Amino acid sequence: MSGELAAALAAEHAAIYAYGPIGARLTGDAAKQAREAEAAHRRRRDSLVLLLTTRGDEVPGAAAGYELPFPVTDEASALRLAVQVEERTAAVWRAALPATEGAERTRALDGLTDAAIRATRWRRRAGIAPATVPFPGRPA
Amino acid sequence: MRSTDTNQENGTPGRSRRAVVRGAALLALVGAAGLTGCGLFEDEPDPAPDLITPLIAGALELAARYDAAVAIAPELAERLRPIAEAHRAHAAELARVTRTALPTLTAVTPAATAAVSPGSGSAQRRAAVLHGLREAEQAGRDAARTACAEAPAEQAALLGSIAAARATHLEILR
Repeated sequence: MSGELAAALAAEHAAIYAYGPIGARLTGDAAKQAREAEAAHRRRRDSLVLLLTTRGDEVPGAAAGYELPFPVTDEASALRLAVQVEERTAAVWRAALPATEGAERTRALDGLTDAAIRATRWRRRAGIAPATVPFPGRPA
Repeated sequence: MRSTDTNQENGTPGRSRRAVVRGAALLALVGAAGLTGCGLFEDEPDPAPDLITPLIAGALELAARYDAAVAIAPELAERLRPIAEAHRAHAAELARVTRTALPTLTAVTPAATAAVSPGSGSAQRRAAVLHGLREAEQAGRDAARTACAEAPAEQAALLGSIAAARATHLEILR
């Protein structure tokens, strides 16, 4: 169970990192959306660190840097990365569902749901239609 | 003794016949357990249709509601059609993993139509349609969340995806 939650924590670290270059290429409402998304990932990271620490599990730290899947050079690539980050985060939380139960499964479901909602918001902003996918977090 | 010996020679096929009969009875039991989900056998994964069956019906009903909404407000088609398709995909996937047949939708009369009087203007009509869909989708999301929380491990991911998808539908309806 802790392996999946540690993986979720690693994904949250990576998401927080990615919102740096994403936010730098956005302005106005889109920049605000990026700040809010980053704050949500930080909250999830903090509560996961607390949970894993309390349980005496291994708590993976953030890497010094992460390789982005493509260079973020403008608004379009920033939005594309934001969608990808949320899809990846959704997938990791979804993978934690079968390994958890009770309050921890609810936590994983919230992680999946929030990431899916943010992915939808970013797809809408990027003009991607449809903005939803039938099975959020499921491997393609 | 002699007579039993001769019987034993013929007895081998007799025993195997009995074994075949026992085997068939056992298969029938497994089949029944598979259908009702009583979990008669410990290592038989419990398909828990009590969680899934209402979700399948609910997904098909939601799809029908969106279809009806598009009929009332065709200008919403681009927004609503992908959601109707997602609900149908959910129903199909739930039926597939539980190896149940997809029920045919016969007598669903979505309430979406009832809330809209024929004379209302297009903005008013659109607002009423969206309001009805939001309420139905919200109830569906709650049902999927509850099912996910209670589900056996092997169904948790699918039910979680369905709950998350319904939450994203609410985002589109805002």
